[in-house]
Amino acid sequence: METGLLLVTLLVSHMLLTKEGVTSMPICPNGSVNCQLTLEELFDRAVKLATYIHFLSSEIFNEFEERYAQGRGFIAKAVNSCHTASLTTPEDKEQAQQIHHEDLLNLILGVLRSWNDPLVHLASEVQRIKEAPETILWKAVEIEEQNKRLLEGMEKIVGRVQSGEVENEIYTPWDGLPSLQLADEDSRLFAFYNLLHCLRRDSHKIDNYLKVLKCRLIHDNNC
Amino acid sequence: MDLRHLLFILALICANDSLSASDDLLQRPQISKCRSPEMETFSCFWTAGNAYNLTVPRILQLLYKKSNEEDWKECPDYITSGQNSCYFNASYTSVWTPYCVQLASKNEIHDKKCFSVDEIVLPDPPVHLNWTLLNTSQTGIHGDIQVRWDPPPTADVRKGWITLEYELQYKEVNETKWKELKPRLSTVAPLYSLKTARDYEIRIRSRQRTSEKFGEFSEILYVSFSQLGIGCDHCTEEVEFPWFLVVVFGVCGLAVTVISIMLSKQPRLKMLIFPPVPVPKIKGIDPDLLKKGKLDEVNSILACHDIYKTQLYSDDLWVEFIELDIEDPDEKNRASDTDRLLSEDDLKSHNCLGAKDDDSGRASCCEPDIPETDFSASDTCDATSDSDQFKKAAEKEEDLLCLDRQDNDESLPSLANTDPQGRHRNTQSENSLLWAPFGDSLESPRPSVHTQMSNQNSLTSTDFYAQVSDITPAGRVVLSPGQKSKLGRAQREGCTEQNFAVDNTYFCEADVKKCIAVTSHEENEPRVQEQGYNEDGYFTTESLTTTVANFGASTAAAPSSETPVADYTSIHIVQSPQGLVLNATALPLPDKEFNVSCGYVSTDQLNKIMP
Repeated sequence: METGLLLVTLLVSHMLLTKEGVTSMPICPNGSVNCQLTLEELFDRAVKLATYIHFLSSEIFNEFEERYAQGRGFIAKAVNSCHTASLTTPEDKEQAQQIHHEDLLNLILGVLRSWNDPLVHLASEVQRIKEAPETILWKAVEIEEQNKRLLEGMEKIVGRVQSGEVENEIYTPWDGLPSLQLADEDSRLFAFYNLLHCLRRDSHKIDNYLKVLKCRLIHDNNC
Repeated sequence: MDLRHLLFILALICANDSLSASDDLLQRPQISKCRSPEMETFSCFWTAGNAYNLTVPRILQLLYKKSNEEDWKECPDYITSGQNSCYFNASYTSVWTPYCVQLASKNEIHDKKCFSVDEIVLPDPPVHLNWTLLNTSQTGIHGDIQVRWDPPPTADVRKGWITLEYELQYKEVNETKWKELKPRLSTVAPLYSLKTARDYEIRIRSRQRTSEKFGEFSEILYVSFSQLGIGCDHCTEEVEFPWFLVVVFGVCGLAVTVISIMLSKQPRLKMLIFPPVPVPKIKGIDPDLLKKGKLDEVNSILACHDIYKTQLYSDDLWVEFIELDIEDPDEKNRASDTDRLLSEDDLKSHNCLGAKDDDSGRASCCEPDIPETDFSASDTCDATSDSDQFKKAAEKEEDLLCLDRQDNDESLPSLANTDPQGRHRNTQSENSLLWAPFGDSLESPRPSVHTQMSNQNSLTSTDFYAQVSDITPAGRVVLSPGQKSKLGRAQREGCTEQNFAVDNTYFCEADVKKCIAVTSHEENEPRVQEQGYNEDGYFTTESLTTTVANFGASTAAAPSSETPVADYTSIHIVQSPQGLVLNATALPLPDKEFNVSCGYVSTDQLNKIMP
């Protein structure tokens, strides 16, 4: 009797646990691959990630500036060009509103992809800076990881939103690795300064573009 | 005349000072700040400074250049942002492009600044502040309100171009310090527990989400509950909880209670509130002794601990129990062992005290007077008749019980369990140190040997005792010749050897001589069967074998000393000071290894072995 009850309990629990409904996952339409999240949720997450990356980039830049840039006159050489300058991203609100959302998404993807490589090297090369503070080291690694995640998320979004075929991948190569490995410490630090400055700027761009897209696509320009 | 002169000089000095002062205060024109309120336009402001020449006004120009351009261009709008400013409208603004601006006049550059627009965002203050009442407390003294506002009109938050964060500050009207709320993204904020009798001021400022700097404060919002008719002007001021008094009295009361408990004579209460902290303690051992006692005393106590319930040593002339110190040869050579053995002082110091379990560590021993044939009654301090284990003191003074038969008729190094006191009548004692330093390579089993307890009165008359006349430095016991024949006979008795596989690592090399003394219980003449062989007084782990006295089933033939002896015998009675009566039960041989560390078997292992 007791064993029978136990058996029944086991069976029932097994049935319940293997049911999909227990895991509270939305039911996917047939054929969809990434159907777990709605587009709104995907955008929400993307915006959160982008904001976080920009926050980290600001912090790491400020810390780096405070620690290494004082008295070195780096600020005077602020006119720098980032490796992503070749990507024609919207420079003001008008342009951001006029650009087609698919183009903007592709541009965002392009910027993210272009930063993949530099971030990897940043995380590794920053460790070679003499007495680099732990916070800087940690942030560099964190930014690199989050960037990867954001890239994955954006690819999912693009997959959902894109109607036509995928265009040629937009991507800018980065050739700044030698400058991060210069023997002269001043030059090397300046290269880091520039890279971090560019990172802060580009992360701000991505953050903004994503918000604009989210308000446009999800909330119909009424955030 | 003098006075006028004086005044004139003073006037000159003053004029001079003022002139020179103005020269010191001359400032160059400089750009004070550049600011973008909404990330769509931006303005730069400067200060003109002191003109060198007050008559000719200086003409200042603001030139700007984008990073990807070559030429410096002049400011497109000097007017919109006010005096000494330059306004760049949306068409001139590229957000993430680096700009440089410089303040120049004619050929002279006074100041230069480089920035990008996203770095200089300082939003306008929020607008349309208002508040609503949420609820009031029951007494009507406190109330909660909710404050709402709108984002600055210039900032395009609806299209997500800019995301703002707001910080609210409030204070009572007659206070000076503002209280802050944490920055929030939403445009509503609740304020709890405001005093309805007081009026409050609220102000809000905003900043771009990932920036550090806040913009300007909004206009101040006045909150007055009396407007809604809620204010409780006639309410008495709420009596604040007398925290101070409570704390003071609480502390005093607690102190009084604690003191009274500590001083109270009632141990139970004291125990309840302040339970005694248990100190690590080993039963039967006085920690003070360990700290201060002499080595010998400590030895004896440790040896006695929980094992020996009898006083095995006595003042008896007949040395029945010999301890050999086999630590190293030097030690052995140091003092004549015979002296040690026969010296009563030493023996006494090795008295294994039967411990009353009173934690004193040096329990007075058990009653020495034990009737000869009385095995059942145990006056031993703790009638641990079943305590089977003998633990060896850490001092490695071990009781060699073995008479080495094979030693070419040499003196057997075995130790008889002797009770120096010799008061025992019965003959028991054992020693039982089960040491099992056995190596795998066992020598040929040696016949068990019975050794005999010496009886103080009848040593020579019995077959069971041998008098040890000397102990060689090598560790061998030299027995008096008269006993040899008996010993020879005894050797035939059943001290079968048993080899136990033992982990060599656990043994102190050359330190162990192990014998097991077993006495026949039923004879009332316990025989100590001791085995041991020690060629040189040292055992190496490989060469050690134990000899185990085996009791045969037939214990009736005990006196004949041919009764096989069991491998292990449990102690039936622990009698002090003579020794132990062992049960004649045959014990299963242990299959397991002994883990002996430095010469003694742990209680647990003995427990496993013995029933």
